[in-house]
Amino acid sequence: MARDERALVELIETATPWLLGLVQGMLRDQDEAEEVVLETFRIAWDRVAALGDEHEALMPWLLRVARNRAIDRIRRRGRWRRKTARAEALGAIGPATTPFREPDESAHPGWHVHESVHAALQELPEEQRSVVWLAYFGGRTHSEIARELGIPMGTVKTRLRLAFDKLRVALAPIEDWVR
Amino acid sequence: MTPHDWYVENRAAYVARTLEPSEERLFADHLARCEECTREVSRLERDLGSLPMAAVAAAPRPGLTHELADGVLRRATRWRRALPGLAAAASVALAVGFGVREHATGAALQTTLAERERELSALRDTLSITREAQRVVQQDIAMGNRKGGLLIFDDPITHRWNVVMHGLPAAPSGSVYQFWFITQTGMVRSVELRCDGNRPAFATLEMPKTPGPVMGAALTVEPAVSRSAEPSGPMLAHVQF
Repeated sequence: MARDERALVELIETATPWLLGLVQGMLRDQDEAEEVVLETFRIAWDRVAALGDEHEALMPWLLRVARNRAIDRIRRRGRWRRKTARAEALGAIGPATTPFREPDESAHPGWHVHESVHAALQELPEEQRSVVWLAYFGGRTHSEIARELGIPMGTVKTRLRLAFDKLRVALAPIEDWVR
Repeated sequence: MTPHDWYVENRAAYVARTLEPSEERLFADHLARCEECTREVSRLERDLGSLPMAAVAAAPRPGLTHELADGVLRRATRWRRALPGLAAAASVALAVGFGVREHATGAALQTTLAERERELSALRDTLSITREAQRVVQQDIAMGNRKGGLLIFDDPITHRWNVVMHGLPAAPSGSVYQFWFITQTGMVRSVELRCDGNRPAFATLEMPKTPGPVMGAALTVEPAVSRSAEPSGPMLAHVQF
């Protein structure tokens, strides 16, 4: 992608709903989620030339940066669990294993990829899917997942590894949809 | 299990970011040195690149995309305006403070920076052993009228030790302080520890590739020319786990 401002605006319009959906679901805080999305685009803008050289798919890269930033924030704030517990107690949000839903989601470009990924996740046995969800979209560590699910840490690691083995086969053929 | 097996087993966990923060730092430091793990982690990240798309899109609030574009471009403009001034200030600081010649190029500075990053990564890695140690063994050593000691930090995650020998005079002429592992099958020669009487000797050691676990360690004084597989000189320290 050429480093021009029009391309940046187009990218922001295309990618923002997915980045926002991901980090909003993880952080449970709209302001923070928007900050993370802004940071992600700033990093992309600063690195756009290098990205072109590496031939790295753009959307997965943006999602990875946003997710890593969200996890960094989750790990930094000790108040996260209290906040989540409070919000869940008030019924403001669903449990961490439930994705955030929007009524007009199918209107967003990239919806077909979401459907494919979602289908791949649904193919996993429930016990593996819940570990992947807590790890990937909840930002939890091994020990936190083990505590939450009441299973040994070795079981968490094994389930995650088995799930990734299946997912990488199912997801590898998916091509980047942002050009 | 070799020290590297831990990294192989935890590649998926590193990509998923489920490692504990200290383990994650350790893994990141390892990646700086291991091409195989770097390649496998990149492959895993690429194969799973679409996984975050499982989260459902959220409609941005009205005006957000414009704010985002403005937030990126305004900062970029600010940086472009500030750049000549910053560059001038940086070159003065470098010329005065660090003695960098005025013809130093960006490439040279990048090389220096890369070297510093490598050094920092190695230091963080070394420090992580002490930080993650689950066993620390200390033994006092007396040499003439000097009293010192041997300190071992055992990191069970990466199967490495940080070894510190302190308070001892320089080894007698023609001799060296020799560190040994005690294993099920006998003593295994490790490194020479050099001590000048003022500063402690320090070494980071991986476990020897011998069958069975390491059961302890020993420190002897050996002839400098000796490469014997068994200790022959006086035993200064002998610790067993």
